[in-house]
Amino acid sequence: METEIKEPVIVIKDLVKAFGDKKVLDGFNLTVEKGSNVVILGKSGSGKSVLIKCIIGLLQSDSGSILVFKGNISQMNEDELDQARSKIGFLFQSNALYDSMTIRENLEFPLLRHWVDITKEEVERLVNEALENVDLLHTMDMMPSELSGGMLKRVALARTMILRPEVILYDEPTTGLDPVTSREIENLILKLQKKNHSSSIIISHDMNCVKNTADLVVLLLEGKCYTKGTYEELKQSTDENIKQFFE
Amino acid sequence: MRNPKANNIKLGAFVLSALVLMIFAFFIIGKNNNIFGNDFRLKVQFSNLNGLTKGNNVLFSGLQAGTVKEVELINDSTIEVTMQINSKVKSFIHKNALAAVGTEGLMGNKVVNISPVKGISKKVEEGDLLKVKNTANMDEIIAKLSKTNDNVAIISEVLKGTVLRIDSSAILKLINDQSIGINLKASLKNIYKTTSNANEMTIGLNHLVNDIKKGKGTAGLLLTDTSMASTLKDAIVQIKAAGVNANQMTNQMNTMVKDLNHELTNGKGPLNRLLKDSLTAKNISLTIENLQKGTDGFNQNMEALKHNFLFRGYFRKLDSKKKEEQSELLKSSQKK
Amino acid sequence: MSLVIRFKNFLDETGNIARFTARFFSVGIKPRYENKELFNQCYIIGYRSLPLVGLTAFIMGLVLTMQLRPSLVDYGVESQLPVMVGLAIVREIGPVITALIFAGKIGSSIGAELGSMKVTEQIDAMTVSGIKPFKYLVATRVLATTLMLPLLTILGDAISLFGAYLGVNIRSVTSFDLFFLQVFKSLDFSDVLPAIIKTLFFGFAVGIVGCYKGFNSTKGTQGVGISANSAVVLSSVMIFIIDLLAVQITELMGLN
Repeated sequence: METEIKEPVIVIKDLVKAFGDKKVLDGFNLTVEKGSNVVILGKSGSGKSVLIKCIIGLLQSDSGSILVFKGNISQMNEDELDQARSKIGFLFQSNALYDSMTIRENLEFPLLRHWVDITKEEVERLVNEALENVDLLHTMDMMPSELSGGMLKRVALARTMILRPEVILYDEPTTGLDPVTSREIENLILKLQKKNHSSSIIISHDMNCVKNTADLVVLLLEGKCYTKGTYEELKQSTDENIKQFFE
Repeated sequence: MRNPKANNIKLGAFVLSALVLMIFAFFIIGKNNNIFGNDFRLKVQFSNLNGLTKGNNVLFSGLQAGTVKEVELINDSTIEVTMQINSKVKSFIHKNALAAVGTEGLMGNKVVNISPVKGISKKVEEGDLLKVKNTANMDEIIAKLSKTNDNVAIISEVLKGTVLRIDSSAILKLINDQSIGINLKASLKNIYKTTSNANEMTIGLNHLVNDIKKGKGTAGLLLTDTSMASTLKDAIVQIKAAGVNANQMTNQMNTMVKDLNHELTNGKGPLNRLLKDSLTAKNISLTIENLQKGTDGFNQNMEALKHNFLFRGYFRKLDSKKKEEQSELLKSSQKK
Repeated sequence: MSLVIRFKNFLDETGNIARFTARFFSVGIKPRYENKELFNQCYIIGYRSLPLVGLTAFIMGLVLTMQLRPSLVDYGVESQLPVMVGLAIVREIGPVITALIFAGKIGSSIGAELGSMKVTEQIDAMTVSGIKPFKYLVATRVLATTLMLPLLTILGDAISLFGAYLGVNIRSVTSFDLFFLQVFKSLDFSDVLPAIIKTLFFGFAVGIVGCYKGFNSTKGTQGVGISANSAVVLSSVMIFIIDLLAVQITELMGLN
């Protein structure tokens, strides 16, 4: 465990988000340091997805602040949000590949949007590189419906990485995949992260994934940060609420 | 998205074909509209539109010539109708043309019929007011028809009675009798003679009256002469009686000739046979001619007499005092 | 009580659709424009719908003619058949039938497409990628439906009139020239223009309702199905309501 204090990338303070009467997040605090992988653990419906959607601005928080690169997401206008989003990658649970477009177009799409004055050659090069990173260069002109689940996840990962984000948010990256493919995805996440020197927040309840990727594990319970520590630290814990995840 | 260029071409073809169709349709409709779209307007004032409304057709001699553009109530008995007329028809409508509200078919839409009238007139100009041709509308026609029907009913009732009476009368039997024909021939000859006599008589009378008419001075002279006046009076009374007799006679002749005519056309009975005799036919025709002449002459006489009497009446009114004196003189002279 | 709640829900839905429409005008119309996607949607919505619209329009013209004939023959105005059919097709049948078919095909596909995009987080993915989904997905589709339906209606009218021409020729003989002349002689701008203008609104309604339903789809495949279905139902009803409004407006403007 590293003890030196690094530059914080994401600072979340007293975040509250409610749907109707139900408070999903109730005073959540978290700091993500540069270059670290934070895994957020929690039961289904505990508000993990809501948390990362708040971070990227898909959901508007009710109170509290989310500072990403020292800018407060909840107070940004659309243009500023777009600016901030270009530095944040998001891997969706369901991949969210545009199924009306080919793989190439899927990858080009964010590129052309965020980097408006990019040249065609540059786009071509970046797309090739991104697909090469996930070993799927041959699928370039296929439609998403022609690929398997694992391949789709890898394409989605490539699309997330193509903008070289400084922070990547993973929404259950290994859910629904077999253990072998899960391992591949985990390795890819680590490999690409090292290459880009990015930080990440990973939502998962797959303990293997947590074990392999986490620098810091945060347990989300009843809308609050219940506890945090390394994988090993939490595994030793005798707390019932923690123990149930490791059984 | 696989082949965006080909898709764009298809989209272009689709959009273009639709736009071309639209422009084409607009062009054709526009062309139609232009024929009736020229601002050439005619007006006409009706007292009753019978349901004519905006948008109804205007026919010129039965040819579609435009539409009713505006209907405006001017006062309680005048409604002004503004019509938009095809400019092609403009040069054929003259100022004396008549307009009327009509109907397409028996129960169809109302139309304005413009009909030309013979005679020289200038061509119409923008905004001219046409005259109205009076035509009966359906309701009036039906009202009149029902009245006519009533009359026909009455007439036929009367006719029925007449025919029944004729049927039962002795005249028909008379006509059917063969010997009557011969008698008739003889009587026709007599009639001929009578009429020629009457003719002569009336000619004589004519002369007489003409003489009376001619001499204004003579008349005055005559009138001062009391004895002459009384004689004249007698003569006039006699002439009058003769005239009445002649009139009766001609009337009788008339009915007789009518009956003859009837027999002739029917071609039945002894009369027909009688008339096959060319000589008789000639006689009859002569008779009728004379009769005509006689009555004509008599008519003239009567006319002349009337004028004379009027003149006398006028004269009497003018010098009523003188007349009284004259009558006194007359009386005194009679006493003498 | 449930009736009150349902009425409230109805008002809520109406308010949301109105808001959605307002958003189209405030957000969707401003630059930057997604021209490429707009053309793509025009292709899918316009060109791909043509065969279906053409087929239904053709059958409608043919059937309408054959159905109208007997009563016209009864009145002895059989010669007016082209005029009757032409006016009916251009003024009412063409626009409304085309719009209903369009609502069935395009409304449901937009509802289902956006619904499944919503469910599979593709819409979120767009937002994250710096694309405004409202512009990219909604504005393009609404514009495409608004622009394409009038064009489809014009083509549909033409095909329908051709069907009517064949329909006239089944029982009697008329030349194409005469038919054409009779139809166009009875048509005026006041027949054609309101009919085409109202299809702009039909198309707009189909686009807005389809997008709204898809955009607000609930999770799961059932949610997508419901979006697609309610998009068709609601846009069809909207078409009739707009038609009613259109006829009254043209009446008021004195164009009838």
